[in-house]
Amino acid sequence: MSAIDTPGERKIVTFSLGSQMFGIDMKALIEIREWEDPTPLPGVPAYIKGVTNLRGTVVPVVGLAERIGWAPSEVHSRSCILVVNIGGNQCGFLVDEVTDIVLIKAEDIQPAPDVETHENVITGLVQITARAPDGTQGQTGAMVSLLDLNTLSLTRQMDFAA
Amino acid sequence: MSQELDEIQAIFFEECAEGLTTAEQGLSAMAAGDVSAEVIAGVFRAVHSIKGGAGAFGHAALTAFSHRFENVLDEVRAGRIAPTPAVTAVMLTAFDILSDHVAAAKGTAPLPDDAAALAALDEVLTGKAAVTPAAPLPAPVAEADEFGFTPVAAVVEEFDPFGFEPVGVVLEELEPAGSADWTVRFGPSRAALANGAEPLLVVRELEGLGGQITGVDADALPGLRDLDPEDSYFIWTLSVPGTVARADIADCFDFVSPDSVVEIERVATEAPAVIAAEPLVAETPPTLASLPPVAPAAVAPATSPAESVRHVEPPAQTIRVELTKLDMLLNLVGELVIRGSILADRLSPADQQRVELPELARLTREIQDNVMSLRAQPIKQAFSRVPRMLRDLSAETGKQVLLETLGEMTEVDKGVIEKIGDPLTHMIRNAVDHGIESPAERVAAGKSPEGTIRLSAEQKGARIFVRVADDGRGIDRARVRAKAVEKGIVAADAALSNEEIDQLICAPGFSTAETISNISGRGVGMDVVRSNVEALGGRVEISSVPGQGTTFTMILPLTLAILDGMVVRLAGQRYVLPLAAVVESVKPEPGQVRPMSPTSDVIELRGNYLPVRRLTDVFGFATNGSRAPEDSLVIIVESEAGPVGLMVDTIEDRREVVIKSLDQNLHPIRGLGGATILGDGSIALILDVEALVGGAASTFHPLKGLAA
Repeated sequence: MSAIDTPGERKIVTFSLGSQMFGIDMKALIEIREWEDPTPLPGVPAYIKGVTNLRGTVVPVVGLAERIGWAPSEVHSRSCILVVNIGGNQCGFLVDEVTDIVLIKAEDIQPAPDVETHENVITGLVQITARAPDGTQGQTGAMVSLLDLNTLSLTRQMDFAA
Repeated sequence: MSQELDEIQAIFFEECAEGLTTAEQGLSAMAAGDVSAEVIAGVFRAVHSIKGGAGAFGHAALTAFSHRFENVLDEVRAGRIAPTPAVTAVMLTAFDILSDHVAAAKGTAPLPDDAAALAALDEVLTGKAAVTPAAPLPAPVAEADEFGFTPVAAVVEEFDPFGFEPVGVVLEELEPAGSADWTVRFGPSRAALANGAEPLLVVRELEGLGGQITGVDADALPGLRDLDPEDSYFIWTLSVPGTVARADIADCFDFVSPDSVVEIERVATEAPAVIAAEPLVAETPPTLASLPPVAPAAVAPATSPAESVRHVEPPAQTIRVELTKLDMLLNLVGELVIRGSILADRLSPADQQRVELPELARLTREIQDNVMSLRAQPIKQAFSRVPRMLRDLSAETGKQVLLETLGEMTEVDKGVIEKIGDPLTHMIRNAVDHGIESPAERVAAGKSPEGTIRLSAEQKGARIFVRVADDGRGIDRARVRAKAVEKGIVAADAALSNEEIDQLICAPGFSTAETISNISGRGVGMDVVRSNVEALGGRVEISSVPGQGTTFTMILPLTLAILDGMVVRLAGQRYVLPLAAVVESVKPEPGQVRPMSPTSDVIELRGNYLPVRRLTDVFGFATNGSRAPEDSLVIIVESEAGPVGLMVDTIEDRREVVIKSLDQNLHPIRGLGGATILGDGSIALILDVEALVGGAASTFHPLKGLAA
């Protein structure tokens, strides 16, 4: 966390869900864990996979793909859990693969076209230079959807339900 | 800065709370007949400190009221007003208003209407004034002198004419003329500054009394190179009009740390104050370091004996710690315990036998016990609000109630104390409203007109028993039953034991009161008690003897953080069942568990049929074909609805687990009381028996089904 913020620039962690690229703010990331089966919870929506032990804290694990309306992720060898901090609460997100950490400029972020029907989990779209598999900078731009973590907060979700 | 002020203010309110508790205890003791000087002085000190702090934070209404209250207390302390029951009653009322004022200053309550209480206080004071001349006085000279001052003391607006402190002990200070100005020397100690005390406020307060700064002694000020900006070097000399009572001046220094320089001297009548100040300054030793011993001596004669006692109190042996820090510590210790057992699991049996490991476990356990004891508080804190409530209730209902408390020093986890306040309130209200009869009824029943409520707490093992017992009319079971039938809570033909009927009063929406009063009758009271207590992992027991009274017992865990649990396995997952709820476990014989309907089973146990819940069904977990009952275990648990069997796969272990809340990062889930981390680092969910057994339907359906 020693990165010095330049005004107008921010670091995002990019990851894939299916063929889509998503990004979350680096500042919210607590850690990336390998997938291990969480303890299932009764009586919760299917996207809550269960709870896991993060150094003594009980942290819920959410299938992010299902949560935002895509087909559920299949767990494979590169599946991992992004543990993030949403307003002081910790939450783990199951993602297919963590791809990169990139620096983006604020002016490069485009507001997401208003096509969402139920809730707006995507705050903006940004083009990044995708890294080619061999590690060299690729030429093709990839679209990354930036996620609004607050919308994904579990505690907030339940407030709505209550 | 304002944040710092908020913090200091928060400390003030904590101290207020402590002061109020002390005052209440003292006043209760006085009401009970103990009017020793010590008790009275204790109440006086408490109110006095609240006044001082309130003044410092600018809570004008609180200051004004506590000041008037203090005046009366002061007269009582000095023996000029006899602490008769009538006077004590006035003071108790005043205390209640004072509590309200504190709440108002805190912003949690509206400003109370204190006119009546003030009038009552004034009446006590004037009553005293009429008696005074006849009463034997310890120091008539001082008395006369004070009365000489009285009219002018009223110059200070909010101080009423009787606002002076008794100065009988300072005979030698009295000048015949009585009008010579005071010279006050004030040198804040280094500690005062380190504690955040602002000397200017004291100076301002003196100026409020008419004082003027006549000189500043800066001799002690070192060169700039040696100057410590956090140290205090100045000594102020102020001149205060001689018409101000000495005690009022001394009051200004109440919150100045004891090693500050405070000298209050009368100047010779003719000498102008400034000139008189000069020699004093000249005598001043050059450094502050040599001064401190002077200060207490200078302050002591000016204050009453009780006050000087306060000044010589040893430095406080306690520190204030934020509860969150303790929670963090507790959490970490819990981790340590878990890591310890993980380590033990990994070691070979031979290594486990070595002495270091048990030693480590013992140390860890000791740390854990100690941390737990840090959070433990005497249950007195929860009991302390009861006397006032009873006074209010007595006033509302016209019933006379005596309170007896037992075991109030029993120590309970802070979290438990915070959460039993509500249930306790309801139980007390219930006891007064439904239990205790009116004085006339009591006399007719051959009882004393005053009812008694006995509030007690005791620890038995890892549980705390909190009892509210009244000597009232007892539960009218016929009426309770009739009401329950009327409200459809039980079937009309249900055969209910006395205990079952008693439990009915805890049913949601149940009330026998014909009219809804302020106090009770809305039918929420005992339901709240039960649900709150159950949320804490406890239960409520009721016992009642018609005509002799009712006893409600809350049985609570000592702590909310650690649970004695049974680890069971179910569909591949491990769960923890609170051991307190477990009655027995049964390995069913073929045919012992029978389906009663397609979705429910019963187990036949010693001639009784008990409902059985399959936890896999309750939780909706998909299983690969349900296990045959013979391959499972049925654990009989005690619940509100009577014993119920829970079907699990196996029992794994019995152990103490550290409860981790689920709602910290998620939200409460019905049927689960939390989660815990087992020795291997995996998570086990803690089952909430009541919620599992009760299901979504009304808790009383099983009872109806059973009894009908």
